[in-house]
Amino acid sequence: MKRYDLIVVGAGPSGLSAAIEAAKRGLRTVVFDENEKPGGQLFKQIHKFFGSREHRAKIRGYVIGQQLLEEADSLGVEVRLNATVIGLYQDKEVVVKLADEVVHCKGDAIIIATGAAENMVTFEGWTLPGVIGAGAAQTMMNLHGIKPGQRVLMLGSGNVGLVVSFQLLQCGCEVVALVDAAPKIGGYGVHAAKIARTGVPFYLSHTIVRAEGDDCVTGVTIAKVDEHFQFIPGTEKKFEVDTICLAVGLSPMSQLLKMAGCKMEDNPRRGGQVPICDAYGRTSLAGVFVAGDVSGIEEASSAMIEGRMAGIAACEYLGFMEKEELAAQLASQERALDGLRQGMFAPQNRGRAVAETEEGIAVSASLLRHGYISDDEIERFPGITHRAGVHPVMECTQNIPCNPCQDACPKGCISIGANITSLPVVVESAECMNCGMCVASCSGQAIFLVEEDCGDDTATVTLPYEFLPLPAAGTKGDALGRSGQRVCEAEVVGVRSAKAFDKTNLLTIKVPKEYAMKARFFRSMHN
Amino acid sequence: MESRIVEHPILGEIENGRTVTFTCDGRELTGYEGEPIAAALKAAGLMVHRYTQKEHKPRGVFCAIGRCTDCVMVVDGKANVRTCVTPLKEGMVVQTQYGVGVEPFDRREEGENA
Amino acid sequence: MSNVIDRSREIGPYIPAPDDDRIICRCEEVTQGEIRRAVHEGMWTMTEIRRYLRTGMGLCQGQTCGKLVKGIVARELGVPMAALEPATSRVPMRPIEMRVFANEAKEGGEHE
Repeated sequence: MKRYDLIVVGAGPSGLSAAIEAAKRGLRTVVFDENEKPGGQLFKQIHKFFGSREHRAKIRGYVIGQQLLEEADSLGVEVRLNATVIGLYQDKEVVVKLADEVVHCKGDAIIIATGAAENMVTFEGWTLPGVIGAGAAQTMMNLHGIKPGQRVLMLGSGNVGLVVSFQLLQCGCEVVALVDAAPKIGGYGVHAAKIARTGVPFYLSHTIVRAEGDDCVTGVTIAKVDEHFQFIPGTEKKFEVDTICLAVGLSPMSQLLKMAGCKMEDNPRRGGQVPICDAYGRTSLAGVFVAGDVSGIEEASSAMIEGRMAGIAACEYLGFMEKEELAAQLASQERALDGLRQGMFAPQNRGRAVAETEEGIAVSASLLRHGYISDDEIERFPGITHRAGVHPVMECTQNIPCNPCQDACPKGCISIGANITSLPVVVESAECMNCGMCVASCSGQAIFLVEEDCGDDTATVTLPYEFLPLPAAGTKGDALGRSGQRVCEAEVVGVRSAKAFDKTNLLTIKVPKEYAMKARFFRSMHN
Repeated sequence: MESRIVEHPILGEIENGRTVTFTCDGRELTGYEGEPIAAALKAAGLMVHRYTQKEHKPRGVFCAIGRCTDCVMVVDGKANVRTCVTPLKEGMVVQTQYGVGVEPFDRREEGENA
Repeated sequence: MSNVIDRSREIGPYIPAPDDDRIICRCEEVTQGEIRRAVHEGMWTMTEIRRYLRTGMGLCQGQTCGKLVKGIVARELGVPMAALEPATSRVPMRPIEMRVFANEAKEGGEHE
């Protein structure tokens, strides 16, 4: 039987991070993953991550995946793919299916980082081909270069539903509606806003009545629900779609731990059946650790830190590290994790209705209900100021842990401060040089550079643009408002693509000056 | 309508393996070597992978990562092959799966009656 | 004794619902109505339901329907979902051919 110091199950963000920390300290480490490619969900994440520099903010998920793989490789971590762990026994024996063989291995320590599985909802016709999980959509479009459908309805307004909807738009699909039975959008407002401004309608307090079609999906009917989630007759709406995408939450994939005899609990706040563990991923079984979504649903940034902590804790368990050093090493990771677990969307705030920001500003009701901030709400946020010349307008209105904009501005125009969940503030004394770094660095695509009066009754708005085809300067079309409705005519007067922008193009459009604070997206006439 | 993404605003031009030929229910199709069988089928516009044993209902890709097993088909004579995680190879013979076989249910019943 | 295992507790009769014909377990094609009826026939644990109806015993091993079935059983019993013990986790966690399952690697003698 093959022996390892450490066996990690799952080569996603947490598993790879754990393996890296262990290998750094000399542990002979193997990572098993059932998939053909490593990286877990990271290679399907094409958006820029939130957080601060220590969380690899503003780097796109798939790039983080590459970085983790390179780091693991350089440290000599053995990553075995197409390696399905089919059993875990109490004496840390791991049974793996490798190709056509079943292999038994023993680890002196084990880290389970198996991640999560998608939840599902049922409705009439939910087994029809064309009804797919959001993960399936991401896999098809971002890994295999296949559009999941031509016309798609998304169910679920959590971050997964929002991010995947945007990705669908990016690869050329039409998203006909974003639907959620809840009365409020569950994910980040900035993710919702960047979808809404392209014209995708949001239907909150709605859910799917039935998928239509004989052999595959040809349409879908939704209806409004009351506060008890019962359909309200007469509110049905029908859409012609070929694809219905479900993004209704995740559940920890913790079966291996249960099988091994770990103490488990059913914790709805962590997403279901999870192992009982301490802050560093130690379970009830000595030498068996957990990290990432398997111990509670969060996101990739925190999963990476949890992975690092579990890796470090495993080193100490095996005597590769002194107790004192353990405390020091874990402290810095804990600080990083604490930084992420702040703000309106922090785990401790899950399910709570937040009425005000940390700054005491009423949150945008329209953003929660419709996916966009209404024109009469926008002015109350500190990122929105007015002055002569080009200046940043930051439509960042919820306290989320993210601060790349502050570092991005070479002139110091943007301030967030020590608390990374604070809303960005415009520094009045600093002079904007129109470099565009803030626009490109904002993971939420919520920053615009606006010149409210160019002197000829026009204004210019510079906006982030991650779609193809990229309109050329001189292209005429419509400016869309935050709601995705046409507000006025517009002409592209500048297109900037720089390496430093990392594939976020900057489109500058000219509009009549009364629309300077309304125009937020551009649609060329051909579309 | 075309399902293949030719150029992606973030991922750039999509890299593909070499073009291979395979058949699905006797129809000759092309795809890229190494991509999941399901991807090639989706590109060809095929949605129904199988019909279920009990209710004879159509199923297709659902999870796309090998978990749900809804996309199984008969591949090179072997039933229950998860097409979303099985790489495409030159000359593969892919067939719609009826229950666990390749014979449509109605034809099967006719055969039994005859 | 908890509500879950107190079998003397009255849970009322099975009342048909309009969506009872909906498939819940996609692999084994088990409907909501079958699950609801099974509860009233005395199957109160996830393990019993699984053995009685084969929910979660198909190719996917309950990856998709596990939580859905649990929700239906909990609702029928009038208990929170968290009160129900999930079905046992067993080897193998994924579909695997018998010829592979029985094919133990020959590197057993390798000690390092």
